[in-house]
Amino acid sequence: MGSVLAASSPNPPPPAPGTAAAPGLTVPPGFGMPPVSPVIPPTGATSGQQQEAENPLPNPGAFDECHRKCKEVFPMQMEGVRMVVNKGISNHFQVNHTVLLSTSGDSSYRFGSTYVGSKQTGPAEFFPVMVGDMDNSGSLNAQIIHQISSRIRSKLAFQTQQHKFVNWQGDAEFRGEDFTATITFGNPDVLVGSGIVVTHYLQSITPALALGGELVYHRRPGEEGSVMSLVGRYTGSNYIATLTLGSAGAHASYYHKANDQLQLGVEFEASSRMQDTSVSFGYQLDVPKANLQFKGSVDSNWIVGATLEKKLLPLPLSLVLCSFLNHRKNKFQCGFGVTIG
Amino acid sequence: MFPSLSSRHRTLAKMSGANGKKGPSSGVMDWISSACRFATDRNDFRRNLLVNLGLFAAGVWVARNLSDFDLMSPQPVT
Repeated sequence: MGSVLAASSPNPPPPAPGTAAAPGLTVPPGFGMPPVSPVIPPTGATSGQQQEAENPLPNPGAFDECHRKCKEVFPMQMEGVRMVVNKGISNHFQVNHTVLLSTSGDSSYRFGSTYVGSKQTGPAEFFPVMVGDMDNSGSLNAQIIHQISSRIRSKLAFQTQQHKFVNWQGDAEFRGEDFTATITFGNPDVLVGSGIVVTHYLQSITPALALGGELVYHRRPGEEGSVMSLVGRYTGSNYIATLTLGSAGAHASYYHKANDQLQLGVEFEASSRMQDTSVSFGYQLDVPKANLQFKGSVDSNWIVGATLEKKLLPLPLSLVLCSFLNHRKNKFQCGFGVTIG
Repeated sequence: MFPSLSSRHRTLAKMSGANGKKGPSSGVMDWISSACRFATDRNDFRRNLLVNLGLFAAGVWVARNLSDFDLMSPQPVT
């Protein structure tokens, strides 16, 4: 039951301190992923020490993870009432039921399932991982992640709106000793001649500094184009500073771990296309003795938000309260969630 | 015969000069007023960019310097 229970349901509660978030995985909107720890390149018993001496640079991780630490500090906006029931069927299989009652949008019911295979590649890593969920209107979200070799991980993702496919993508990630390269094919359509290709490359320059780039090429009948952006990440003793610069805009984030209880994040985003900029400041308070986690944020658009999550031990219950205020537009949003199992 | 200039008129005449040239103080006033207009124009992209960059720097400073408190430390005995 351990490995399946470790894989949480779609829209999972924030991970407990110490657990790793899913690396290098792009998730369709409104879809959650079970935590998958990063690939550990193999090192032989005798050649490992030689390799460490020759290659002291660590693997920099996935390109998508660069801003993730900072983003995880911010509270997730939630509206309405949500109830999630997780049920482990076996060591490999888990199902979940999600009921969402909303005042602003449509209420919905989602059924999700998670299958974790038996190929073990690490202490808590099993492949393949298959996650899917479907709502009451028939819209499907599905992902399949598989470790093809010790250095190559692949993923397929599908998303449908009722019976129509709206998103389908496949990607392959290669993790070298001190670099990571990823290629993603998004919505390829050979008949029409359209699609999107995204390539990422991230290289460790020093043990603290990693530099990389992203190239997006899109094509459809009568139109094609490409967008490039560069990323730099500096990891300190208790902070991570990341900067992404591209023709579409800039994104800077600063993550600071003050102590075991307090983490802070500051984010700056600028879009040259939308001619808009914004700054957000967020913090996360963990009180393990009270089984409590609090997240708060304030941004330059005069939006103040907070979420409170409390585990009601010894019951397998988790309570989430969320509140967001938009002072500029005089709007208030409140959410309440219960997770069982 | 001619009406005497009031003190205000004399000051304005000194500022504008005989040939209509602006003095350095009016140039500074123009610069200050245009800077104030720039700083308060919420629709200006460059202005918003500078303000938000300053807020980002302030946020980083707060995160690095004002977060060194221990929530789990025991309360001081009074």
